[in-house]
Amino acid sequence: MLKIENLTATVGEAEEAKQIINGLTLEVPAGEVHAIMGPNGAGKSTLSYVLTGRSGYEVTGGSVTLNGEDILSMEPEERAAKGMFLSFQYPVEIPGVPVMTFVRTAMNSQRKLRGEDEISAPDFIKKSREIAKQLKLDAEMLKRPVNVGFSGGEKKRLEIYQMMMLEPNFLILDETDSGLDIDALKTVAEGVNAMRSPERGMLVITHYQRLLDYIKPDKVHVLSAGRIIKTGGADLAHRLEAEGYEGVVGEAV
Amino acid sequence: MSTALRDLIANPNAAELELIARYGMLPEDARRERAFEAFAKGGLPHRRVEGWHWSDFKASLPVIETPAQPGTAQDPLPADDAVLFSFTPTGFTWAESLPEGIRVLAKPEAQAFGASEDMPLGALAAALAGGKTKPGTLMIEVTGQDLPRLHFRFSGAGEANFARVQIIVRPGAKLAVSESYLGGAGFTASLMEFSLQAGAECSRTVYQRTGKAEVLAATAAVQLDEGADYRQTTLAFGGKLTRLETRLTHQETGAKATLNAAYLCADGHHADITTEVRHGAPSCVTRQLTKGAVLDGGRGVYQGKFFVPRNVGQKTDADMQHNALLLEEGAEVFAKPELEIYADNVECAHGNTSGALDANQMFYMRQRGIAEEEARALLTEAFIAEALEEAGELEDVLRVQARAWLAR
Repeated sequence: MLKIENLTATVGEAEEAKQIINGLTLEVPAGEVHAIMGPNGAGKSTLSYVLTGRSGYEVTGGSVTLNGEDILSMEPEERAAKGMFLSFQYPVEIPGVPVMTFVRTAMNSQRKLRGEDEISAPDFIKKSREIAKQLKLDAEMLKRPVNVGFSGGEKKRLEIYQMMMLEPNFLILDETDSGLDIDALKTVAEGVNAMRSPERGMLVITHYQRLLDYIKPDKVHVLSAGRIIKTGGADLAHRLEAEGYEGVVGEAV
Repeated sequence: MSTALRDLIANPNAAELELIARYGMLPEDARRERAFEAFAKGGLPHRRVEGWHWSDFKASLPVIETPAQPGTAQDPLPADDAVLFSFTPTGFTWAESLPEGIRVLAKPEAQAFGASEDMPLGALAAALAGGKTKPGTLMIEVTGQDLPRLHFRFSGAGEANFARVQIIVRPGAKLAVSESYLGGAGFTASLMEFSLQAGAECSRTVYQRTGKAEVLAATAAVQLDEGADYRQTTLAFGGKLTRLETRLTHQETGAKATLNAAYLCADGHHADITTEVRHGAPSCVTRQLTKGAVLDGGRGVYQGKFFVPRNVGQKTDADMQHNALLLEEGAEVFAKPELEIYADNVECAHGNTSGALDANQMFYMRQRGIAEEEARALLTEAFIAEALEEAGELEDVLRVQARAWLAR
């Protein structure tokens, strides 16, 4: 599904550019959930931006393919249309654009890029209602501008709402647990788990093991200084929690 | 042309000579003469004249001629249920069947224009409106409340289009006015005067869209009596040079004015939004919001002034905001917000910003699959939308026009 090979990438312009990803290799097969854990500054968020094509993040070597297709040459919206979805650590406020308008525009833009027909208004509303109910989202909230005046938990739930509406092939969750209380965390995790399917892959980026109690990963990778330095099963997350990154990173070095 | 007429303007260019010639062909009229002299004193305003630095009419209007490729915009403002007044370079038409509460008088002669010194191009419109086919002054008196909108359309190919309209809204009356400036003439100059008497209400919507060859000066002079409520919404796309100027005076206690505008300028389009509000009475309220978005080669100008004299302007409540988006490299916005306040018990605020679209917002939208151009259009529409919110039944029409421009 998602195959990253010997990826190197820099952040920043020209002489200010700093290499953050240093020869990262990783494969997430369809149907699996992989977690990436690592200390602050390891390159976790950078990886999510490199994979989704944010400007200012430049790939200097290696390759990334999604179902065999090179995605690094694609614009962010083309990657989205191919099914890449990033749940942001800090979802962005968009004043003046209501959630429903935003999501419908996104959905139809993706469909257009894929050569599909637009979704009809009744179908869209029906789908939106069902998902909002599942995520315990107030219908009024979906009429408000995207993320404006939303609490941290509401913003994260709205990310999951968008994910469920857009039905991407590959999900990247960047610190989705940050800023969530335990009830919100459960709701968000339920949404993500409902998305698990044999055709879909997920990369869960997190600093703490807590989220992984609710979203059980097939594999856990430890990211340090821009490379995967250790890979294990779900239990690795518990070891990291118990021994700290230093212990595990130290062991690997 | 007589020597005396020719000498009215110092060092005239071809356009100014043409304006003098047009004046010379109109019947003699002392008030017309005073208006023309007020214009002629400085001629077409240029960059060295205060208030005209960024909008140089003398440079933009070397000659007055029919544009080779005039703007052919359809009028998007609906006129079916409105009373339509149409001004073209060669003529004037109107419905002539009017509901009770609206009285129209098409006078051949000019009327006195008090503030002509401050508004040279308004004075020019006052001096050159008229002739065989057009009224010198179109006077409208409004007494009713539940009236159809009055719609003024300025269009049609030709060299020049001049018009002057005086609207008096009697105590307690309510009126909606709209104006469409659609180009076609090389030079259009209009003077719209609004006098709102005690407790009167008027909403005015101005839509301006012309080709790259047209020059326009639309001047409005507004006077508000006690408790009058005036709401103005403008959507301007610019032209070779367009200036939409509003001079408003609160002359009795408790009047309220809302002056909102949005400008969207593409390559080769210059839109100037200029306002001056005089708080000449206590406890008057002014709310002003101007939003602009400009592409490479486009130019937006915003000049706003609040003037609050010491003796009469106490308890003024006034707020002025101007926010501009520079959508591309090469876009230009010039802004001059001014507060001139001598009264000590007032609440006056102003804000002025210009910048690019937010990169975080752009990436967020593109990550969700929205193409770059569409994301830009959506964000820009959201940005300017607030400035169109007071346009009532015409808000949607303006939004559609803005959206269509953004989607290009």
